[in-house]
Amino acid sequence: MFDKEPNIDIVFRNGLKNFEVLPPSDVWDNISPMPARTPRYGVVMGIAAGISVLISLTLFASWYFRNNADTGVNTELAMTTGDQLPVTKTPVAISKPVIPAKTATLRNLPVQAPVTLKNEDIFTSPAETPATSTMISDFVPPEENTSDDITLPLTNDEITVIASGRLTGQNSYSTQTLTSVKPEAAEQRFIVGASVSPSMGFTPSEQNAHMAELIGSEKTRPSYTTGLTFGYKLSPRLTIQSGIGLESIGQVITGIDVFAGLSDFYSAKSNYLYSVETASGTILAGNTDLYLTDTKNRVGSVIAANMADPSKYNLTQVGSDIHQVFRYLELPIVLRYKIIDRKVGLNFSGGMSYGYLVDNYAYTRDGSNTITVGRTEGVNVHSLSSQLGLGMEYNISSTISFNFEPILKYYVTPVSNFYGTLYKPYSLGFFSGIFFKF
Amino acid sequence: MQKEKDIIDGCLSGNRRDQELLYRRYSPKLYAVCLQYSGNTEEARDVLQEGFIKIFENLSHYGHEGSFEGWMRRIIVNTALEKYRNRYYLSRVDDIDEVDEPAAGPDTSDFAGLEAYDLLNMIMELTPKYRMVFNLYAIEGYSHKEIGSMLNISEGTSKSNLSRARDILQKKVTILTGVTRRMINV
Repeated sequence: MFDKEPNIDIVFRNGLKNFEVLPPSDVWDNISPMPARTPRYGVVMGIAAGISVLISLTLFASWYFRNNADTGVNTELAMTTGDQLPVTKTPVAISKPVIPAKTATLRNLPVQAPVTLKNEDIFTSPAETPATSTMISDFVPPEENTSDDITLPLTNDEITVIASGRLTGQNSYSTQTLTSVKPEAAEQRFIVGASVSPSMGFTPSEQNAHMAELIGSEKTRPSYTTGLTFGYKLSPRLTIQSGIGLESIGQVITGIDVFAGLSDFYSAKSNYLYSVETASGTILAGNTDLYLTDTKNRVGSVIAANMADPSKYNLTQVGSDIHQVFRYLELPIVLRYKIIDRKVGLNFSGGMSYGYLVDNYAYTRDGSNTITVGRTEGVNVHSLSSQLGLGMEYNISSTISFNFEPILKYYVTPVSNFYGTLYKPYSLGFFSGIFFKF
Repeated sequence: MQKEKDIIDGCLSGNRRDQELLYRRYSPKLYAVCLQYSGNTEEARDVLQEGFIKIFENLSHYGHEGSFEGWMRRIIVNTALEKYRNRYYLSRVDDIDEVDEPAAGPDTSDFAGLEAYDLLNMIMELTPKYRMVFNLYAIEGYSHKEIGSMLNISEGTSKSNLSRARDILQKKVTILTGVTRRMINV
């Protein structure tokens, strides 16, 4: 590499070898703390796992509904084959619609009296469609005239029957025509609602001794998520939901004595005077009127010991712990599957949520007064969490429903990775919300 | 003294104290490199700062194979090159005829009295393009082809710049050593 090099090159290379110059003192101050580096493959694997779960759920749901999709058509087939009994002027009131009911008003139809269909299984079981004559015989004869203008709850299937002349006295029509007719897609596919999810966080066990010591003196504080939810029904049972929410999480750092009045004795020349090591990062006490101290060596100070000793000043204690608060703007994507689709239903949900840190502060409490301490350095600005839920859906009406769903939430990316411990709390919460379908 | 690997692991864990320890341990050597590639202390300070941010950001990619100091030095040099390209980037000039490598100069023992600080000052006084080529070729050991692609110049231009840089430095060294000798003889 150094072929034919003249001696001047060697002079400079050897002369500058191991040469050192002390850099300006402020360079280090301008290098921001580096958060712990999470192995990238861990995050990628977490995201991949989440996506795989979502795809699997979608494929499973798609397969399930494809295999059960022709129920409505078979219902029509069952009603139209056979001998065409004189159902003229015999209005049909089907007591149990096969697909979600929609109310329709029939006017000026030649109806005489409601007829109840007893054999409901025929409508719900495609496998039994050949039993046409039995079906017809099961119709209960009309008892009396009601009105020329009546309102009946009808399904899409029933509307198809009327259009085919079933109730208008036509006794002969082709089966082919009816079998090719499919229910109209006029369902309530969109959902909008507001939700709130109070939750309680838990801290995973920690193998790093220093981290374990920090976590040992911290308590998670109740957290919550509020937001607006938008959803789209992919099928009668499967809904994809997204929205926007605000998540507030945090913890209480115990055993930190906070005293006020330091500014009367010491004039701060830096942005902060004290720092507190926590599992979520380092709190920099930007409130330079506060003196912080503890017995567990978590508090650091930029005040040199030979310059001042705040412990000897006449200060007022204003707190004995510090609350850390982190607020994330949350964008979730959740798949919700109805296991039981009734008035009181059962839902299973799973999804992921991206969070962007929008607020970060620490405070202490003196009675009812809240005193700001500062903010936490080292908290991840971005977060990715996964969630699973199993809960109840109560349909207040055909358009309004109420959800109540216990949810387990786990942070795929660490909320904080200070000290490299991949600090990933998880939480158990209760998702509750009111939704409007349209 | 804390082991290098422990410091690196501490840095990766987000331990600010270890990060500062790493900085304090290596910044004097790396700052000298920054000065070598920069014409002034202001630019050198920027290169050092940006370089250390990159070092911390990419620390997880260091596989503990090879010299850690060498790895950091490469990052600092690349940062300096990036700054040079941004600041002094000129459109590709016409190739200059290749210049033959100069013959070997005087024996290096003639310059034994030179201080590293003097050498650094001489390099800093070079124009940016001469300084870059000389550093990359004579100090780092890159080939003209590599230098050409780094600085977006032809091999011929790189050789030409190196030749001129050497001439200038040779004269400065000669003057300085001559003055020194005369002072000693007096």
